Amino acid sequence: MSKKVIIIGGGVAGMQAAVTLEELGIRSVIIEKEDGLGGKLRRWDRLFPTMTPAEEVLDELKDRVQRSGVEVMTSCEVSEIGCEGRMVTLKDGSSLESDAVVVASGFDLFPAELKEEYGYKIYDNVFTTVDLERMFRNGGVRTVDGRIPKTVAFLHCVGSRDEKVNQRHCSRVCCITGVKQAIEIKQEHPDTEVYSFYMDMRMFGPGYEELYRQAQQEFNIHFVRGRISEASQTIDHRIQIKAEDTLIGLPLKMTVDMLVLIVGMKAGESNLRWSRCQGVDLYPSSFVKPKNLFLGGVESDSKHIFYAGTVTAPKNIGESIDEGIAAAHRVAQRLKEE
Amino acid sequence: MEHFRLFVLPFWLGAIFLLVTLLYKYISWFIGLAPDERRLFFRSLFSRSVFRSVGEVIRESLFHRKIWRTNKLLGYMHTTFALGWFLLIMVGWIETLVYFKGENVPLYVDIFFSYYVHPIFEHNFNFSLIKDALLLLLLIGVCLALFKRIRSRAMGMKRTTKHTWGDRVALSALWLIFPARLLAESMTSAVIWKFGGVVWALGEEHHLILPGIGCGSFLTNTTGEFLARVLPPDILQAGELPAWWFYSITLCAFFVALPFSRYMHIFTEIPLIFLRNAGLKSGEKVSSYDQFQTHACSRCGICIDPCQLQRDAGIVGVQSVYFLRDRRSGKLTDQVADNCLMCGRCEQACPVGIEQNKLRLNSRRERAVPVGENRYGYINGIDRSEGTGKVGYFAGCMTLLTPKILRAMERIFEASGEQVWWADKEGGVCCGRPLKLSGEIDAARRMMEYNTELFRKHGITVLVTSCPICLRVFREDYALEGIEVLHHSEYIQRLIVSGKLSPRFGGENFAYHDPCELGRGCGIYDAPREVIRSIGVLSEAKENREKALCCGASVANIAINDEGQRRIGERVAEEMVATGASAAVTACPLCKKSIARSNLIPVYDLAEVVANALPD
Repeated sequence: MSKKVIIIGGGVAGMQAAVTLEELGIRSVIIEKEDGLGGKLRRWDRLFPTMTPAEEVLDELKDRVQRSGVEVMTSCEVSEIGCEGRMVTLKDGSSLESDAVVVASGFDLFPAELKEEYGYKIYDNVFTTVDLERMFRNGGVRTVDGRIPKTVAFLHCVGSRDEKVNQRHCSRVCCITGVKQAIEIKQEHPDTEVYSFYMDMRMFGPGYEELYRQAQQEFNIHFVRGRISEASQTIDHRIQIKAEDTLIGLPLKMTVDMLVLIVGMKAGESNLRWSRCQGVDLYPSSFVKPKNLFLGGVESDSKHIFYAGTVTAPKNIGESIDEGIAAAHRVAQRLKEE
Repeated sequence: MEHFRLFVLPFWLGAIFLLVTLLYKYISWFIGLAPDERRLFFRSLFSRSVFRSVGEVIRESLFHRKIWRTNKLLGYMHTTFALGWFLLIMVGWIETLVYFKGENVPLYVDIFFSYYVHPIFEHNFNFSLIKDALLLLLLIGVCLALFKRIRSRAMGMKRTTKHTWGDRVALSALWLIFPARLLAESMTSAVIWKFGGVVWALGEEHHLILPGIGCGSFLTNTTGEFLARVLPPDILQAGELPAWWFYSITLCAFFVALPFSRYMHIFTEIPLIFLRNAGLKSGEKVSSYDQFQTHACSRCGICIDPCQLQRDAGIVGVQSVYFLRDRRSGKLTDQVADNCLMCGRCEQACPVGIEQNKLRLNSRRERAVPVGENRYGYINGIDRSEGTGKVGYFAGCMTLLTPKILRAMERIFEASGEQVWWADKEGGVCCGRPLKLSGEIDAARRMMEYNTELFRKHGITVLVTSCPICLRVFREDYALEGIEVLHHSEYIQRLIVSGKLSPRFGGENFAYHDPCELGRGCGIYDAPREVIRSIGVLSEAKENREKALCCGASVANIAINDEGQRRIGERVAEEMVATGASAAVTACPLCKKSIARSNLIPVYDLAEVVANALPD
């Protein structure tokens, strides 16, 4: 009888893990809680740093899944991993047996409402990076009353590196996301002034630093080192922000048409449920802790549980897909040994 | 000198040393009081407060009523030591008077009475029985004290005080005193039982005691007979005097150690009660009266358990008991003075009623580094207020950082049709309390003067704030005669009662969290509860009102790290969840933020739930 592997999560990492397993001759089942494959990528318009349309990547992955004959269960949520990866229990109470489990359940977006001082969902023209992607897909960036914004302020690190909301980690990919979106706004509305408030710019990937430089030199986006302390709404529904430019050491106050909060990655809420299974440990940040950060990045302390993608830490799309491949190979090797 | 024996010397010297030290301290502290404080005290001597003080001394210094409320066994232990020992001394004194027919004998005869007189219970009023009974009570007290060392939980205390070296000496001496007394009295009774003797000084009457009778009562007579039977006669005779020496030395050790130990509280609580009832209070500046308070701390450690820094954040060695200890010994560090939420839970629990927060504040003031002259120069002439009205609204910095509360207040004012003057919607000057809490009172005063002037300039008659931190400083430190200062909970309650505001009853179950500054700080417990009841069902946390938990975000703690704050806040959120309510409601922007960050339960300010219940 052929072996069967359950993949929890049908985002980029999960899809790639399933495809690779099939290539290695192992049956795999993707269990996805939403109604379709793709995870967070479904909500994205274009990808940094190349501005590649998200669909290009998504369609290719979906195609691979379809071609390889992976079984996909959508609108179906895993509630618990049992027997150290030999079984999973679904939300509807039924259970599925498996020879191994690949946890690719991803991350949650930081809920910007928790930083009440920035007024998300209180003031009309405060948005998150996710809202902005939706606007890009739906025909352009507009304020609530349909105007083209004349000034836009981005705020980096909302829900990242912030002790006050229990998010001490760096979410890594938001810096470059902010740069990408600032450029996209400039491409769409060249006359709009874009300000970007940051504490550090972390350009870790290939082409990122180059894009950041382009943003400054070519698109004339103003990067201000300093965080916004509070925001309030003016009578004409614009947003007044208070910040400090820490490079010149002076407080500043400005009114913008739109404030964009660059939200970070929060550990997936389901991680707590996975941690109830023996062999699955969490970091204090609630991200899942792999067996070994150097030599076992996709493995757990349990022989039948493997990890892929942002369930263990914030990663970009390429890294997540590569982890899908790595996890699949580890699973195949483990199953062969048995 | 007829009664003098060499062994009374340690006791005698110890007692004189104690008396001189106590008098020196109390007199010098009293002289150090401000003239009007001394006047208050003298005036109180001719008022009813004296009776109140006497009653309180009996209730608290002897019976320790407040400790009984903490735990019965703990209360019993403290009462036996205080009341038991006091009665033992009193009964001994009366007994001496009776036996010596009022003859003037030195004090040590009272103390070592059984050595001089061999009282037997066939004659006279049965003092021996009472004294033996009291001694037994005290011995049980000592056993309980030992038991508390091993299992303090059984006596209602999860944690007990870590003692200093001086405390340990005094403690050991205290615990030895009563077994030593038992041994000495038993030895004397044993000698009489074995060899017979006389009841020594019954005026003219001298009673012979035949061998086989002994002296003392049920306790010392029995132990005496036992010793007489088991010990050889020569050891009995040679051992009696050393036993009395031992008793005398333990007394001496205790008396000498007392002024340098926690037991200073035994005597100091008495002048403290009289001075407090005369109307003395600790204030902004360190004063001589503070000495009475710091020395009245018995280091019982009852303040440790309620402290959330210890209980939830694992921060030890900073609690009130240690703060007072360090301040008393002059070894106070910033770490101890600054690491306190000033939530007031320890003050609430303190059986001596020491003003913990005031003392900590004036210590902080003493240690504060003065700020530069021009630091607050920018506030001159700023007026960003808007609107006009008899009602002024002061949001405070924290409300400006929680705009949902501000939004809700706008709706409430609009719905009730009140004309409002907005003091700081566009930014204003701090109320001054955070600076005050960090000891920078002079800087805080500049903010207070500025704000007072601003309020006066705009002619308001009611000042509403949604921040309890601002509320407290407005009420306690601002001179705002003619302006009524209200917390928004009180103000909203008024609007509802007067019919200006009619929120719908939705029936949602809300758990209410008492903010420290609003509850213990300003005594406002009912107004927010009444408001909640008008819109939904009110659930109470296990520890509420005067005993409510602190959210951990208090601006008073200038030393705690974020992790500590988070853990304290999370604990509060867990308590809110445990009530079974669907959401938590509080009345302070800081509490809201710190309970919300744990993400366990939705948290709203009172104004938000009221605004949500208003008809559109």
